[in-house]
Amino acid sequence: MTTLFKRGLTATSLALLLSGTALAPAAMADTTLKFVSWQVDDAGTGDWWKAAIAEFEAGNPGVKVEFTKVERSAYADTMTTLFAGGNPPQIVHLASFEYQAFAENGWMENLGPWLKKDSIDMTGWAGQDKCLWNGETACIMMSYFGYIMAYNKKILDDAGLAVPTDWNSYLDVARKTTRDLNGDGIPDQFGTGHETKGGAGQYLTEMLSYVLDAGAYWTNAEGKITINTPQMIEGLTRWKTVVKEGLTPVDMSAGDVRKLFADGKIALKLDGPWLYGTMKKGGAAADTVMAAPPFSPPLGGSSNVLGMASEIPDEEKALVWDFIKLVMSPEWQTKYATVGNNTPPRPGTNTAGVEATTPHFDLLIQTMKAASDAGVDRIPTGLEIQYNEFGKMVQEEVQRMLIEDLDPAAVVKTIQVKAEVIQKG
Amino acid sequence: MSQAKFFDLARPSRQHLLGYILLAPAVLLVGLIIVYPLIVSVDLSFQEVKLARIGADRKPFSTANYEKLFASAEFWLSCWVTIKLVVVVTIGSLLMGMSTALLVNNRFRGLTAARLVMALPWAVPEIIAVVVFAWIFDSTFGLMSWFLVTLGFADGMVAWVSTPGAAFWALALTMIWKGFPFVSIMTLAGLQSIPTDLYAAAKVDGAGALQRFRWITLPLLMPVLGVILVLVILWVFRDFSIIKTLTEGGPLKSTQTLSIMTYDQAFGFFNFGYASAIGVVTLVVCVVVSLLMLGRNSKAMY
Repeated sequence: MTTLFKRGLTATSLALLLSGTALAPAAMADTTLKFVSWQVDDAGTGDWWKAAIAEFEAGNPGVKVEFTKVERSAYADTMTTLFAGGNPPQIVHLASFEYQAFAENGWMENLGPWLKKDSIDMTGWAGQDKCLWNGETACIMMSYFGYIMAYNKKILDDAGLAVPTDWNSYLDVARKTTRDLNGDGIPDQFGTGHETKGGAGQYLTEMLSYVLDAGAYWTNAEGKITINTPQMIEGLTRWKTVVKEGLTPVDMSAGDVRKLFADGKIALKLDGPWLYGTMKKGGAAADTVMAAPPFSPPLGGSSNVLGMASEIPDEEKALVWDFIKLVMSPEWQTKYATVGNNTPPRPGTNTAGVEATTPHFDLLIQTMKAASDAGVDRIPTGLEIQYNEFGKMVQEEVQRMLIEDLDPAAVVKTIQVKAEVIQKG
Repeated sequence: MSQAKFFDLARPSRQHLLGYILLAPAVLLVGLIIVYPLIVSVDLSFQEVKLARIGADRKPFSTANYEKLFASAEFWLSCWVTIKLVVVVTIGSLLMGMSTALLVNNRFRGLTAARLVMALPWAVPEIIAVVVFAWIFDSTFGLMSWFLVTLGFADGMVAWVSTPGAAFWALALTMIWKGFPFVSIMTLAGLQSIPTDLYAAAKVDGAGALQRFRWITLPLLMPVLGVILVLVILWVFRDFSIIKTLTEGGPLKSTQTLSIMTYDQAFGFFNFGYASAIGVVTLVVCVVVSLLMLGRNSKAMY
């Protein structure tokens, strides 16, 4: 029995050794870098990523980038599971409001030494300061954008209204264009459109244009909670007016609201540069126009970041860094505008000719700069790591204000207290 | 020679070995995909862990997660919502399921089609059913609100998903619609196993339809109904996808059950230790409920 067992063990060991030896050279020659993203199928941005991957693979024979799509709604869960299971993607793509938890846990490589090694100057790179976490460069900001306002020219012309230029004219247009067109008692055309269903982060983003224009924000530059202010009361009052007066459809996803606008059922739409893709395909494409938002400063902010998993072999780190460097290069930043229809974060990027595919590109640059100059971002300083919890709390208190018809002055006091508790942990 | 005898599985004294060998892969698999994660969850619930990682150093033993949990108003609210949903959906599913099963247990023209229609919601993938109901209960263009407005029961569109009471009932209706066919199919199987002689004898004795149902059908169905009850309760207790897709637990946590709270704490706020504690409490409640229900109902038979 013992002899049989020993023989079996020896044979198994030999087989494992042989198979390991046989596999080793192949593994070295064929490296696969995993890259998970929610942007794989996005018109423009997805094409840009795919083109960059093709160029990277052509320059690194034997290296393959496995570009896999995970839906945005399941993204944080999937990435958390991958990291927790010790099997993270080597190329780490995250939203700018969620990378902090990964960096805090030591899962993101500090890119500072890599930038220094290649003498890459990040001065002026839009939103890059948001990638600094605990004094280290946890990521590279891939997108920093400014909001625009799109409007339906036909709806405004039919109502004899001018394009709004401030809150009062915006409210006036929204009220006059919210109508029940077929007389069944149910409004079927709305003055404006917001997503009020879905994640807390998006809910806060939808409110933020009104809040910023009223001169309010969640925290100051030092991270101190600044919610209990007259300006925030005004901001919440504006949001309450828009929702309670039924100037926006309610309980709809962002995609549905964009589609409604694109099909001519909404007069004014505040949104990011990505709205253009839906607008072009909509039933009212000929009537929809992009303009500067009537609010100052415009909402803007960081969108998504690129980084490197910290616990991967050094050879893979070098490859991932080469990929990051490629997409940061002037050539690929230009393509980020021409192919991806996005505003490139790299300062001084040559975007000549982009007007051919994105006629309003100057407007995007203008609003991005305006938001950047005003230091606007969707993620409040001092609440980065607790952003999801903070967002959920604000969303609930604001919903309570709408459902129970509470005074915004009382609501801001509650939010201030709860936000301070969340911040203290 | 002695080795050969030991591995001779045809010998009567070795036949049990063959059973163990055949069972081993399944037992190992169950251990790997059920028992191991369970042990990890229980272990995590006694540590103050934000983001968990396999192979990471264990943090000191702590009961802080449980102390925080039992002191949390949100936890008790989620328990209350879970209990409400379990009661409403279970009663609704049982009533609907039993009624339809009794209906299709009779012979009538179109019986096959009726049975097909009855089972249809069960065949529809859960996520598709929820998307359909999300459109029915849409607050801006939804069919349900349109009916209510058209029939004069409402002045305007009902904000189903952003009004606490309406959101709960929209969710409960969706779950009943998705859950009743299972009750129907199981009950129908139970009904068809009841000997017809009993009904014939009862008729001879002058028993009416209600009396036959009360004194024959119901008692003989009790073992089946007991199992159905446990399965439906457990399904509502642990359901995640319907709630997540339809209401995300809102508004104002009015539809936040323990499973949604667990998910939010783990993947929303990255509190894995705390989320594990909620999961463990949910598991304990489910086990206790199952034991109580099975013990009580499986004996309620002639």
